[in-house]
Amino acid sequence: MSAIITPEQRILGAEPPIAKKANRLQATKLNNQMVNAYWEDLFRAKEEGRLVCWTEGIQLNPILQAADIAWCHGEAAAALLAARKESAAPQAHMETLGYDRELCSYARTHIGCGVMNQSSTVEAQTLLNVDARTLGSRIPAPDMIISAYPFCSTGQQWDNELYRTFGKKVPIFNISMDWVWGNKSSAKYMSGPEFREKVAFLKKQLQDCVRFIEGITGKPYDWDRLSEIMKYTKRAAELRLEAMRLCKARPSPASFFEWTNSIAPVNFLPGGPEIVHYFEQKKAEIESRIAQGIGSVPVEKYRLWWDGIMNWNKIGWLSDKFAGYDACMVAGRYTHMGFWQEPQVIDLRDPLDGMAQNYITCPISISAPQVIEKIIEHCEYYEIDGLILHGARTCRAFSYPQYMIADAVGKRLGLPVAMFEGDMVDETFYKDEVVSSRVEAMLEAIDASRARMR
Amino acid sequence: MNTVLDKFAQAAQRPYEHVKAWKQERGVKAVGTLPMHFPAEIIHATGALPVIVQEMPDAITSGGGAMYPFFCGYTRSIVDQVTEDQLGFLDAIMFTDHCVQLLSAADVIRISRPETTIHFHQLIASLRQPWSLESSVKTLRELVADLEEVLGVVVTEEALRHSISVFNENRRLIRDLYQMRRTGQIQLRASQMQHIVKSSMVMDKETHNALLRELIASLKTSTAPRSDTVAIYVSGHLCHAPRPEILDLIEECGATIVDDDLYTGYRYVSTDVDAGIGDPIVALATAYIRKNDNVPCPTRIDPEVDWEEWLLGAVDRCGAQGLVVLLVKFCEPHYFAYPRIKAAFERNDVPHLMIETEHDGVAMENVRTKVESFVEMIKVQRAARAVAA
Ligand code: SF4
Ligand code: SF4
Repeated sequence: MSAIITPEQRILGAEPPIAKKANRLQATKLNNQMVNAYWEDLFRAKEEGRLVCWTEGIQLNPILQAADIAWCHGEAAAALLAARKESAAPQAHMETLGYDRELCSYARTHIGCGVMNQSSTVEAQTLLNVDARTLGSRIPAPDMIISAYPFCSTGQQWDNELYRTFGKKVPIFNISMDWVWGNKSSAKYMSGPEFREKVAFLKKQLQDCVRFIEGITGKPYDWDRLSEIMKYTKRAAELRLEAMRLCKARPSPASFFEWTNSIAPVNFLPGGPEIVHYFEQKKAEIESRIAQGIGSVPVEKYRLWWDGIMNWNKIGWLSDKFAGYDACMVAGRYTHMGFWQEPQVIDLRDPLDGMAQNYITCPISISAPQVIEKIIEHCEYYEIDGLILHGARTCRAFSYPQYMIADAVGKRLGLPVAMFEGDMVDETFYKDEVVSSRVEAMLEAIDASRARMR
Repeated sequence: MNTVLDKFAQAAQRPYEHVKAWKQERGVKAVGTLPMHFPAEIIHATGALPVIVQEMPDAITSGGGAMYPFFCGYTRSIVDQVTEDQLGFLDAIMFTDHCVQLLSAADVIRISRPETTIHFHQLIASLRQPWSLESSVKTLRELVADLEEVLGVVVTEEALRHSISVFNENRRLIRDLYQMRRTGQIQLRASQMQHIVKSSMVMDKETHNALLRELIASLKTSTAPRSDTVAIYVSGHLCHAPRPEILDLIEECGATIVDDDLYTGYRYVSTDVDAGIGDPIVALATAYIRKNDNVPCPTRIDPEVDWEEWLLGAVDRCGAQGLVVLLVKFCEPHYFAYPRIKAAFERNDVPHLMIETEHDGVAMENVRTKVESFVEMIKVQRAARAVAA
């Protein structure tokens, strides 16, 4: 039975019939357990006398973990609230204060948590209608803020706003991450003098950041521990990439949505044997699926690429929606081009340089010409039939190259695209009728092109 | 006097025609820059004409197929200008500012028109790091070297020093006008001030200086008290000029704009470069870091300066009775800053009004109604205070 809805159904406003469910990996459950354990641990940090750092953007957690500092990664917090349908409260607080809803929704949600933390008295909670049990208000207030955001100035301004929200009383360390624009033709992906210079500048600032941390903890930094943590992070990242590459198989044993559900171990969970074990399990399950010919969707008629940041309110729903279209979202920019995407350059004897290289080549930190080349490589490798371009309305850093990506894959690979607006954690920007009609038009274009080839 | 103001208005209204004519007449190159902190003295020192790429009022056409509509009007406009082949007269484009939307537009420009030379030298946005000055100096030295290569020239320290003094004079002359306007000595409309600043962004600075001197000499100064209109301070509108019609409209509603921190306004001329610093590049970098003390910029990270507090002081200093914030739709740095401005003005009981502007047009009648009630409200307050006194 085809899951494609008819125009009549759309006019009647009917929900698209979800005829098929995505075939979820068992290992993902382990991810959810680790994520829950991490948040519960963070919620207890203050009671246990641990310092808490708030940070956004790059994965600074290994640096903090080595100093026994608990951390809250802003995007992770916002995504968690969205996934648990609790992002509306902090977003509403921000709107009351005059923050425009066109502003980065991650920032609005996370700063909203800051506001909730500020107003944790019973009176304020009543006034602001804050439920003390909401996740947002359970996130412990920071003892320090470290700002290190690649490319996107909004990230830096978000940290600046947090600093001001907490009355400028929480020490902040600002790391500037230069964009490798490529003024000279010698500037290549991960090579050339411009790249090396930017990496060196970032590495120096990371070293200064460690001194800032030492100033707060009053203890010498444990570099050996950082190497140890990075050993696990590097191994987990390698396993993740290997497992992702296995999804070249037809049918693809796992989807982009599964990989979005596995971001936490390479984004903000503590580096340790657990994250390595997790990706071993995941990879083993993928290998077993390949051996048995089991796909991530019941019927794989189309192989797609998801470009853009994830829509966290809708992961499960979208994965079923695409399964309903017999489409497997095999890979995506967010998952496949970021999160310790180049683990091989991390030298465990001196991890900061390799860490800096990874930070500076995340998918929003490399410029559009390089993004396009990488996407084309991925599309060829995974034998992609079409691209979904999710223009996250309030994440311009992710959305801006999408017209150029659409143009390049169209011209060079002949692939059709479906572009639509949505958002990472503000549901109000997502319009399902638009998504359905654009996706269906794209699938029809794929069918037409296949018919021509026959 | 009018002829000088007309010259400013013409260059401001048709900036690219002016630049093209200048190029043809003088046989010089023109280098475009993107706002807001580019030290154009460096381009001037190469002998080329520095031109700040302007937002144009035209409707977005082909650029709409290159950039989502949820970007600020400035970035959408410059992308459209490139896809419409309107910027081909520029020999290169250089920029130094870190705003995600500006970087995005630049990347779109580079891909849409690969033949454009568009180079980026990122000035550190975080102004109070121990390495902020050193990093800025390094960036500017790289920019000089790059310009030398792109334009095939050598930039001498002497040329840089000369350019700095020409630019300082330009800033000083415009600031003099601001000061005379603040004190009510001269009556220039806000849209006329905009023409003066905007034309400075695209004209040869020496020529602009000569015109400014001519203007100042011809202006009739008066010591009579300001008319009974409500004095207003206008703030915001980063990276590009608000449509002059909006400024005119505010002044038609019984208000006089006496001062501003607009980018195409006082912000552009707020800070001189210290000619006493021996190394001109160090002088330019120092001015870049210090500028935030004079007029805070929400695109910079500076824990020591609060725009809202600074604005309260600025409004007070010029004797304005209210603040109008002009906020560019989708401008995130301003979105972040505005709630604090709003809260500070409410806390201090200083009237303020926010008007959001859009590239695609503003509902002028709505704005008129808002401004009229705002001005009325201030008048009522003023009368009540007079009675109480
Ligand atoms: S706009 Fe996007 S990249 Fe920028 S801070 Fe927000 S989520 Fe991060
Ligand atoms: S600062 Fe504001 S107006 Fe300027 S480019 Fe950025 S978003 Fe646009």
